[in-house]
Amino acid sequence: MSEYKGSATVDPGSLAAGGGTASLVAPAGLAPRQAQAGGLLGSIGPVVRAVHGWTSTYFAAILLLMIAVGIALTGFQHGYTLMGEQIKNALVLGAIYALVAIGYTMVYGIIELINFAHGDVFTAAGFYAFAIASVLHLDGLATSSFGGLLLALIIVFPLSMIAAGLTGVVIEFVAYRRLRDSPRLAPLITAIGVSFLIEGIMLVVEGPDNVTTHQASWINGQAFTVAGVSVLYTDLFTIGMALFLMFALGAFVRRTRLGKAMRSTAQDRTAALLCGININRTISATFFIGSALAAAAAIIYSINYGVLKWNIGFHLGIIAFTAAVLGGIGNIVGAGVGGFLIGVIYVFGGSLFGGEWSESLIFAVLVLILTFRPVGLFGVEVTTRA
Amino acid sequence: MLERSRALFRVDAAASQRTQGNTVYWILASTASGLLLMGWLLPWFVNAYSAGVGFSPQDALISSPTGVGTFLIYILAVTMVILVLSTIVEPVARRMGRRFGPRVDRVRLIAALLGLALTAIIWFLVKVLAEEPLFGSLQPGTYTDSAVWLTMYGYAVAALVYGARRWVVARQTLAFGVAILPFGIFLPLMFHQAPDFLLWAAGSLAIYMLLALGLNVVVGFAGLLDLGYAAFFAIGAYACASFASPTHNIHLPLWVLIFLGAAIASMFGAVLGAPTLRLRGDYLAIVTLGFGEIIPDLATNNVFNLTGGPNGISGIDQPHYGFLDFSASPRWFYWALLLVSVAVIVLLRNIERARVGRAWVALREDEVAAASTGINTTTTKLLAFAIGASVSGLAGAFYGSIVSIVSPDDFSFSVSIAVLSIIVLGGIGNIAGVILGSFILTFVIFWVLPNMNEWSTTLSQTVHVPALAGIDFSSYTYIIYGAALILMMLLRPGGLLPSRARAIELESGGETESLAAVQGVA
Repeated sequence: MSEYKGSATVDPGSLAAGGGTASLVAPAGLAPRQAQAGGLLGSIGPVVRAVHGWTSTYFAAILLLMIAVGIALTGFQHGYTLMGEQIKNALVLGAIYALVAIGYTMVYGIIELINFAHGDVFTAAGFYAFAIASVLHLDGLATSSFGGLLLALIIVFPLSMIAAGLTGVVIEFVAYRRLRDSPRLAPLITAIGVSFLIEGIMLVVEGPDNVTTHQASWINGQAFTVAGVSVLYTDLFTIGMALFLMFALGAFVRRTRLGKAMRSTAQDRTAALLCGININRTISATFFIGSALAAAAAIIYSINYGVLKWNIGFHLGIIAFTAAVLGGIGNIVGAGVGGFLIGVIYVFGGSLFGGEWSESLIFAVLVLILTFRPVGLFGVEVTTRA
Repeated sequence: MLERSRALFRVDAAASQRTQGNTVYWILASTASGLLLMGWLLPWFVNAYSAGVGFSPQDALISSPTGVGTFLIYILAVTMVILVLSTIVEPVARRMGRRFGPRVDRVRLIAALLGLALTAIIWFLVKVLAEEPLFGSLQPGTYTDSAVWLTMYGYAVAALVYGARRWVVARQTLAFGVAILPFGIFLPLMFHQAPDFLLWAAGSLAIYMLLALGLNVVVGFAGLLDLGYAAFFAIGAYACASFASPTHNIHLPLWVLIFLGAAIASMFGAVLGAPTLRLRGDYLAIVTLGFGEIIPDLATNNVFNLTGGPNGISGIDQPHYGFLDFSASPRWFYWALLLVSVAVIVLLRNIERARVGRAWVALREDEVAAASTGINTTTTKLLAFAIGASVSGLAGAFYGSIVSIVSPDDFSFSVSIAVLSIIVLGGIGNIAGVILGSFILTFVIFWVLPNMNEWSTTLSQTVHVPALAGIDFSSYTYIIYGAALILMMLLRPGGLLPSRARAIELESGGETESLAAVQGVA
């Protein structure tokens, strides 16, 4: 157990970089353990190791090349209008993944826990928003006029974000706080338990079928057409809102005292404690912000697709987690970029191999990242000190 | 670290015998009493329930034409009261500082033997001499028949426990096996009522138990959190479906199938385990989760035309193997499952204590330290994956031939989590705990929850709360898994029956020595 602590000590280089890119955690703890992994790789021979090392170094380039080839192939096969449509779809989907991925990356950065419940907080937040909209009769308001729409959005976004944020805080308080210092297996199993509990509650409350949320009717109309691709106001809103929230979060983490407290807690909890930072409050705040962003993503999802189901959060959560890993876990900017990249891979993988393979493709990408470059695209390779 | 390792391997033989041996003693003594009570009350319950009239053994004994029967029943009642009451009183007396000595044991042994003999005589009178039935018909298939068998078994267990108490305490595992195994073997003979139900119940239990035992190797012994365990189950089931169905026109016997399923699954286990070797803890969990999602996806998308797409493969053979005609009698399935489960339990118990098992513990505790003591971490981890997967493949092959249709939906993430809940509930890393956990969870999921609908409807009519009737309890499984995982981890991380080594590890916390105390203040 003690090696985790040892390997998580901060590398000066990444610390310096961390300030600039709003990185929450030094990726040193995730570096491949070459000194030890000699068993399999060593027995097969240095060739494998060389190939592995090469792939690991140029992973980002290879991945981007593959994505570019995939996009181009789609263009050749199905025409460039469809390619444009797909790029638009990918960006919309990517925006949602990015917002969810940020929650994963922040929580992992600060307490090194895969919060499996995050995807289900996303679904729950979607249902909160639906409930708020139904109770306050916002559907009629939102479709009546532009001002009404703005008002509805201004009501529904903060309310559901706060509700989801509180859900996240409660989850952390009840399920994770007591296990913060126990071996890693314990909070991980608890996280799965929380995920199943939330899914079970939603299954009982909302039923096993798709729930139509009507929010797809909120924003209507086509904004403009680029090269035959019609861009809807919904698309603009989705991407704009996601980018706005991400930049706001970036500024928050970089500029405010709480953001600073988060970064320092992520880097070294003991040292942060010694500096007088209230660890518990900081971690609660992290959960609050992550869950609130998931709520925003859930409303955006509702506005785009108009349906929710009790278990959509599970797969969406794993895909978003893949995005977080792709960008380097703990790295907020990385999670944002990773989200968009995963969106592109999902959509174009679907159009090349057929939609039924999209999720398998994402999981395969996840396995490849963790095999070849566990520190993510933006992570700095650090020699291990295990 | 040193202190922890010492605590791990310190074996206080006397203490462990005192506590553990007594545990088995208590379990067996209460089992005997429970069986006796069940045997006595079962006919009464069943008759009262089905006929609506109070038909009790007392009624039967009054109406018994011969005085012999009445006399026997009274003696029988006395022996039962002695045995049951003394079992209840013993712990109370013990708490007050009085121990039951060998004299009490002798009385109880005589009571048990007497009861056994009398039950046998009654059975003989009724069945062979066709005496008027004492408490209901003894035709095979009736509850009274089952009740007589239960009573006889209860007396036999009581005789074993009280007659050979020192042996039970000294050789607890063996004693437990000797006392419980015959019950498992004779169960289909004692209960003829619903052979299909028995097979279904025993099948669900055995399959989940095998899965949990296999996952316990990976998670409990080696400490590698595998969230995609259903994948290997799926592989075993699909292997069975491919090699024993009209799909490819191959029809292999069950005994070949289960080994084939195990072999293929363990191969996959090693192959899928290989890329995860360098990953630790939570990353391993997420990658295995990914594999667990990919495998059913592959099956759904009918890769290489092997899996039959979303509908799966149907028409899997009912095993017919020489004189063992499985289709004619589900009993053979039951015994096959029992045999395989017992074999797997014995095997895993030995593996746990062998060199590999100890290497797993070392790996789980501290990978770097384990590597530096000369343990080949690669081989050891791969072996854990392969052995865990092979047990799962075995279960998959059985599953395929019992349900005779496999489809991708049967192997979703919730199966992996159900199995994980069993382990966490019972006790991570402890085989006895895992078995207990699988009994509890399969009982709740497959029997209590489906029946809850009916019960709540009845209750709602009785207490006039109509809201109770509409609840569909079968959708509560997710909540039960979730609550089991959270509560066990928060309140009793070692599980109901914690493994000693694991309990030390989970409770000591490991990573932080003084930080926890500091943070408690903050």
